[in-house]
Amino acid sequence: MPNTDKKQMSKEARKTMWRYIWTFQWSWNYERMQALGYAWSMFPILEKVKKSKDELIAAMQRHLNFFNTQPHVGAAIIGATAAMEEEGADEDAVDSLKVGLMGPFAGIGDTLYAILTRPIVGVFAAGLALKGSMVGFWLMLAFGLFWGFGVHIGMFRLGYRQGINVVSGLSGEGFISRLTDMATIAGITIIGGFIPSILGLGTSLEFTRPVTVDGVTESVVVKLQDVLDQILPYAIPIALVGLAYWLLRSRRWKPIPVLLLLVAIAFVGSAIGFF
Amino acid sequence: MDLGIGVAILLAIWAYIGIVICLAPNLSLHEPIIAGAVTGLIVGDVKVGLQVGASLTLMSLGMHTYGGATIPDFQVGAILGTAFGVATGNVDTGLAIGISAALLMIQLDVLGRAVTTGFIHAADRYVENGNFKGVILMHLLGHIPWGLTRAIPVFLAIWLGQDAVIAFTNWVPQWFMAGMQTTGRILPALGFALLLGQLPVKKYLPFLAIGFVLFAYLSVPVIGIAIAAVALAALYIQMKGGKENA
Repeated sequence: MPNTDKKQMSKEARKTMWRYIWTFQWSWNYERMQALGYAWSMFPILEKVKKSKDELIAAMQRHLNFFNTQPHVGAAIIGATAAMEEEGADEDAVDSLKVGLMGPFAGIGDTLYAILTRPIVGVFAAGLALKGSMVGFWLMLAFGLFWGFGVHIGMFRLGYRQGINVVSGLSGEGFISRLTDMATIAGITIIGGFIPSILGLGTSLEFTRPVTVDGVTESVVVKLQDVLDQILPYAIPIALVGLAYWLLRSRRWKPIPVLLLLVAIAFVGSAIGFF
Repeated sequence: MDLGIGVAILLAIWAYIGIVICLAPNLSLHEPIIAGAVTGLIVGDVKVGLQVGASLTLMSLGMHTYGGATIPDFQVGAILGTAFGVATGNVDTGLAIGISAALLMIQLDVLGRAVTTGFIHAADRYVENGNFKGVILMHLLGHIPWGLTRAIPVFLAIWLGQDAVIAFTNWVPQWFMAGMQTTGRILPALGFALLLGQLPVKKYLPFLAIGFVLFAYLSVPVIGIAIAAVALAALYIQMKGGKENA
């Protein structure tokens, strides 16, 4: 049985994996994106299984077709196709697996990497680094090593073992969807706490107002921040994030105009002594 | 402190390594905190690097190069921001330069991604002729445009820009510096907003509120919030799973 969990990686497959991990996107370009990296990573296996030079050339040309996915999670795709090429699978099956999986895997990978894990680790690390703590640096590096080696190697091996069944192997028992759900909930909770903790913006605006007590008029200094705090603590950070969110989502503004607006608010606010 | 040509070369190399390692294996050396801290080490103040990097990280939340899209270059922003923050002795000046550099670098990212098209065309020809050594070369050299579009601007900015930057900071009025300082504190709002826009916030609004209450009313430290967040998530999955299995 070729598709058991105990399947050992061949020497060539290991070569393919390390080529992929170390250099996959080095030749990334607009036209065919990750294609050249894919072909070069696959070369050791193709060189072993293709009998003639013409076959080898044809196989390389197939793998030079357009390809783009999220590299870490997508390691399962090259792992699976590496196993298929080694077993002499039909070339159409290999190509359609690549084309069929690159989109969905990019979606899963980008969500897990860019929306869930990187922001959570990034906010944490930034909170520490803002105070000048090197722990923030090490946290970020650990995150990079986890994805760069841990996820890359794990996904390649998974793909290699499963071969053409890689999809069922990955989505088995709803593992990915549960992981995504959990990370989403944890992420949203953490962001709820981090918005006020990171954006500790307050107003220093105060005004005096005459108050008459027992017939004597005195002027009392009222701090706007104290008033706001009684209504809702951290009202200003919430209002700013809310404004940016509303412009991006409901008004369909692009990020750069929102950025410029926030810069304008910062300048005007500090000029009139609000912040 | 004086940055000089030696520092300019070192930082250009650091920028080159950072972007190439970002392409593969992606060890996060391009992350602003790491790019900034190492730059800080080179120019003599790690703390400035950590602070500039941290602010840029918060602005970059929710921004990602989906499918090869171009976003502001926070890596180069962190390198230049840290170097000039140390050179001028002012973190806020550094951050302002870092943000501006990150935005200006957008054009160069597009250039770098476009030029590499030449390498894959050459690789096509090598494959056709069965010259596989040539293919290897085209792939491994493909990172040069990526690296140079970062290294050259960093080198030029540090080498030529230092005097101009210091002269500028001596000249700018107080209100401008105050505005820049506030800008640095306000911009993470954009990062949070972008991130929230990509998450199913409406579905999970209660969790956002719980996180807020934990910090704003109960003053729970961030580690405590993280532990509570994971616990809540696990609880939610367990209870949801229970219903489905019943």
